[in-house]
Amino acid sequence: MSDISLINSAHQPGHTCLAFAKDGSRIYTGGSDSLVRIWKTNLGAEQEPDVAIEAMDGITTVAAGNNAWFSGSEDADVRQYEKDKHEVSGLVTTAIGVPIRCVAVDPKGQRITVTSDEPTVKVIDIEDTTKMFVLKGHTKAVRQATWHPSGSLLTTSGADGKIVAWDVSDSEPKNITTIEGIIPEVYDTDSADFRHDCSAVWHTSGQYFIVATRAHEIISISRTTWSKSATFSDPSCSGATTALALSHNGIYLASASTSGISIWSTQTRRLLFRYQGSVTAPVTKIAFSPTQNLLAWIDTDGVLTRWPDPIPSSSPDPVKLISVGAAVGIPKKRGTTPNLFGDDVEEKDDASKAKDLNLDEEDEYDATMGDLDDDNWILDDIGGGLQDDDGDAKWAAKEGIKEMAQPPFQPGSTPMENKKRYLAYNMIGVIEVTDQDTHHIVNVEFHDRSARKSYHFTDHFKYELASLGERGALYACPPEASHPAHVLYKPYGTWASQSEWQYELPQGTRVIGLAAGGPPPTQSMRQKNDMDIQGNGNVVIATSDGELIFLTGGGVERHVMSLPGDFVCMCAGREWVFIVTRDGSTTMDGSQNLTGRLIKFDDFCMLQKDTVPIPKGHTLKWIGISEEGAPIIYDSSGVLNALPRFRIPFAATWTRVLNTNTLDRKEGKHESYWPVGVSGETFMCLILKGRQEHPGFPRPLIQELPLKFPFKRTDAKEGPLEEQFARETMLLDILRDGLDEDELTSTDISRRELALDKSLIQLIQFACKNDKLSRALDIAKLLHHTASFDMAIKVAGFYHLIGLQEKLEALKDDREDGPDKLEAQRERRRDRNAQFVPIPDNKRYSTFAAEPARPKPFQDFRPPPAIPRPGLERAAGASTKATGTSQITESSQFSMDDEPSFDFNAHQDIENSNYSQESSPDGKRKRFEEDSNAENDAKRRAVGDSAGDMRTAQARSNPFARKPGAVDNRNPFTKSTETNKSVHKSDSFFNKIDAAETEKPKRTTTAKGKSKDKKETGRQTTLFGLPAVPPPEKKAPGRKKKANVAEESQSQSQRGSAEPTAKPAEEKTSAESQDTDVTMLESQESQVLTELAEESQERTASPEPIDWPDSPAPVEPEESTLVEIVA
Amino acid sequence: MALPPSLRLSVTPPELELIACEQLIEIIPLVAMERTAFISGAFGPLRPPAKCKVPIWMATNLKLKKKCHIVPPDWLNVDFLQDRLTHETSQPEFSQLPFRFAEVAKVLLDVASDDFENPERLRSLLKDIQEARQAKSREGLSKIDHSELSLPNLCSMEINEIRPVFIKAMGVLSQLVREPEGRLPT
Repeated sequence: MSDISLINSAHQPGHTCLAFAKDGSRIYTGGSDSLVRIWKTNLGAEQEPDVAIEAMDGITTVAAGNNAWFSGSEDADVRQYEKDKHEVSGLVTTAIGVPIRCVAVDPKGQRITVTSDEPTVKVIDIEDTTKMFVLKGHTKAVRQATWHPSGSLLTTSGADGKIVAWDVSDSEPKNITTIEGIIPEVYDTDSADFRHDCSAVWHTSGQYFIVATRAHEIISISRTTWSKSATFSDPSCSGATTALALSHNGIYLASASTSGISIWSTQTRRLLFRYQGSVTAPVTKIAFSPTQNLLAWIDTDGVLTRWPDPIPSSSPDPVKLISVGAAVGIPKKRGTTPNLFGDDVEEKDDASKAKDLNLDEEDEYDATMGDLDDDNWILDDIGGGLQDDDGDAKWAAKEGIKEMAQPPFQPGSTPMENKKRYLAYNMIGVIEVTDQDTHHIVNVEFHDRSARKSYHFTDHFKYELASLGERGALYACPPEASHPAHVLYKPYGTWASQSEWQYELPQGTRVIGLAAGGPPPTQSMRQKNDMDIQGNGNVVIATSDGELIFLTGGGVERHVMSLPGDFVCMCAGREWVFIVTRDGSTTMDGSQNLTGRLIKFDDFCMLQKDTVPIPKGHTLKWIGISEEGAPIIYDSSGVLNALPRFRIPFAATWTRVLNTNTLDRKEGKHESYWPVGVSGETFMCLILKGRQEHPGFPRPLIQELPLKFPFKRTDAKEGPLEEQFARETMLLDILRDGLDEDELTSTDISRRELALDKSLIQLIQFACKNDKLSRALDIAKLLHHTASFDMAIKVAGFYHLIGLQEKLEALKDDREDGPDKLEAQRERRRDRNAQFVPIPDNKRYSTFAAEPARPKPFQDFRPPPAIPRPGLERAAGASTKATGTSQITESSQFSMDDEPSFDFNAHQDIENSNYSQESSPDGKRKRFEEDSNAENDAKRRAVGDSAGDMRTAQARSNPFARKPGAVDNRNPFTKSTETNKSVHKSDSFFNKIDAAETEKPKRTTTAKGKSKDKKETGRQTTLFGLPAVPPPEKKAPGRKKKANVAEESQSQSQRGSAEPTAKPAEEKTSAESQDTDVTMLESQESQVLTELAEESQERTASPEPIDWPDSPAPVEPEESTLVEIVA
Repeated sequence: MALPPSLRLSVTPPELELIACEQLIEIIPLVAMERTAFISGAFGPLRPPAKCKVPIWMATNLKLKKKCHIVPPDWLNVDFLQDRLTHETSQPEFSQLPFRFAEVAKVLLDVASDDFENPERLRSLLKDIQEARQAKSREGLSKIDHSELSLPNLCSMEINEIRPVFIKAMGVLSQLVREPEGRLPT
């Protein structure tokens, strides 16, 4: 049984009807939009059906005869049409002002029954419509009429709740019987109940009919007794039955109810199969094809659904007439009837069990089927069984062909539906087509209207394929009598006149695939600009001749390549085209056997070749290029795969980046995702509700789903971090691979690496916490920056893991001594580039016109340059200058800095980490925080009006302020350090670091001072007024206390959100302001020892590029040096 | 509640709208823009077709220049509002709605009605909800006593509406209640 159904939106919502042509080649559907559409069953969902438009009001019924078909509508007319055509051939009858309700053609195709809202029923001869008789017996509208297979008996179901059986064999019709109390009484013709199919469906044996009752049961009523003989019931089938249909040979009964579409066995009256999809609207009519294994139904939403192969090949065919003998033999195969999902495999497993079961039932069959010999039941003792086996083989073969061999498609296009379709829908824009019968209107719209200008044009060639590239749109039309196939390229750029060109293919050749590629524009395509030398990109055309034609964006033919197999689809990136073909054939077990290739535009060589990973039984749905340039595929099983290392020739592997089946949002919903593109870490898609396969009109909004590697670890903390690390690493790899030959790294990469190191440190912390040392070591090996190792070492130290600490030390030394990782990578890149030179990665969006030297005024987030103030020089001494300059260099450096450092404090509170991404002087860090806060909470504006002041304040940041220290007091490690004084052991280790990093010593001093302060906070107020300069001999302790005060005052001032503008002059005079005792002390020192001024300044006040947390161990040497200096 | 000018002590609805315009809303930009600093903070970058969160004032500004589509907030759709309306009409208490729903909905429906499905129905639903809530707040005011009036889930616009009456009434009531107590001892 196949689960793939063909869905068409056929009519407007409302009452709908459906009928198969006698030969099964057409389906007629009618709806409240007064149209009848004629669908060809051999075509897929993308067909455009013929339309019969004669009716003036909603179509209520359609029926097919041998040489004609009939429609009845609410305008009271029954029309006759020619077989398979939409030309009306005559008016059969009219009901004088009341809607027609049902038209039924007798089995011989000679007479039709017409029922209407009148209580009378007409039986009319098709050949001579004047020959008719009227049946009177109902008291209300007659809803349905059905013929007995013999054609001599007619049953009508009325709104009055009666089922009347008529004998119409001779010219005098007789009322045989009236059955009441089975079907509901429905008086309101507009009610939903009225639309339910209450017809009495005669079994092909003619022994009984099946009807849906008002008690929501499906029962069979025997012809001999006119009473209920059996019930079709199953616990999984509930709700009102809205439509019933019998298969051509009478073996299967299909019913539609609110719980879904079910297929029953008429012999065992058991539920055999169910339709896998859900049913969204009440089904108004369901029918089996008379010639095929096909079930079709239509619902009140006007949606026509065709379910090919509802009966699996392991069960008897629904079409062929089979004998009693076969019927008895077959159940062995049909087997487990209660199997809800009709799974073939399970069925086979249960075959033996079913056999037993069937043995019991055989007697019953004999009883019910005993008198089959009369009427039309065909007996065929020998042929039936043989035929059935043939059938099996045939179906298997047919399935094999049909399920496989996915046809070529253009990614991002949809079939024509209601005269509209998308030719392309990607991250650049949308091409929409409207069918105007004689011509098409092509409308091209771009997501970014500032970069490209939307346009539309009238298309007389009916372009059926299109590709929207970075630099132009490409269209292809099929060949027609008047013209051969051609390709039209319309570049967006306007600098050259006549840039659009047409490329004709020889007669008889079709275009089966198209791709327009090229580097993204560096500036708006809307403006005329002569600076752009990158041209119009590249064009690739796949033809039915098995050729792959490469042209430049200017229309120069460059290369013709042979397609290595059946073409499936392609899309073009910046420097290559990604083409998917089927090399060889599909495999018998359901694999598409597709191969993906990357072919470069510059030398037409292959860059990658790999099998496209599509699960068996699934098809490729979409291919695309991510914003970073990596090929992406999406298959019908809902998995998104990417090829991140595509720049390494023949080495890239497909990475599973998202499984949409496991998305949280999908829980409990029936929706699918129609891919548009992948940008960074988001999957851009359109979300389709229910069984929709393609997006409709108007254009739905693009939704963003975050990519998520399907990692299996469910640990709430570590799992997401590991997943994030892997995902980010993938992106980093793409970026690194795209670096130039002599670039070591880029700002963006360092920033991302830094962010990654941060999460790695967190992982190390978790690992240390749980004593998983080897895990911690593994993670440490992944760290990017040497500075991060120091962090890891600190974390290990905090958890007293001396062994790990030493190992990390060794790792760090190894990293430092060994060849530089980045250089090694660059070396590898160079080697690779000897074979493949990627086009340098253009800044995708960035500013137009070749990176202005300075960003635009409102986009400048750097602190303004510090203004040197010679007038104040004397007061602050050399120190002001020193800090001023150091800060400037710092801020300009940070962007290029290879080893940005961490703000450990920020890393502590993971949730709202204002993680300072650059090595920052304090002022810089604050600014960042300001930005992000402002973004998060716009209301902050009310308070934050001092932003401007702040910036200037930060620019001339106080050389005396102890800013790094101020941040430290949030450090959660501080406290614990105090409690664990025993960590002194690691002194030696810290000294080592100190030796390595000259800047660090001061840090530890402040840290120490502070950690002591914590205890003394109670006394702070009393300390406030103490003399600024303690006697030199008491220096160390005194200093600590004062540091405390400074700390306090500083944190207070910080809380007040406005940072005091710290000018050296001010500081000198005001003791209350932010200037601290320590800095006073420093300035004194600088007075005393001018030669040391600079050094001391640097120690205490210079903004530390690395914002280390408190060290667990106090470092005495610092203190001593200080004392020495003063002494 | 229309009030004579003498009673209009509180902020006017347009002023409330202005305040509400500080809230962030998702847009789909149609133009590209780098991250840009404004007085209230830095917003962006705008990278079509990716969504971006910007304040409503910026969204409306861009919308009026046809440079973005506004993504309706999850509470501003027919289903949700219908649900709230039935809740509002069947339950005695106020249903939960965003604090500034009236202002935000008005601003968005004014400038970006084409970004909504069925804006007319939204408008009528909002009107119905507003009326249902007004009826409740009137009823609440009639039950006012000197000590407290608890109206949870009242929204800014409604608070603003009842503010003048309420303050006065509360003042008078507390006077009325306090006086006898003050006199009792004498």
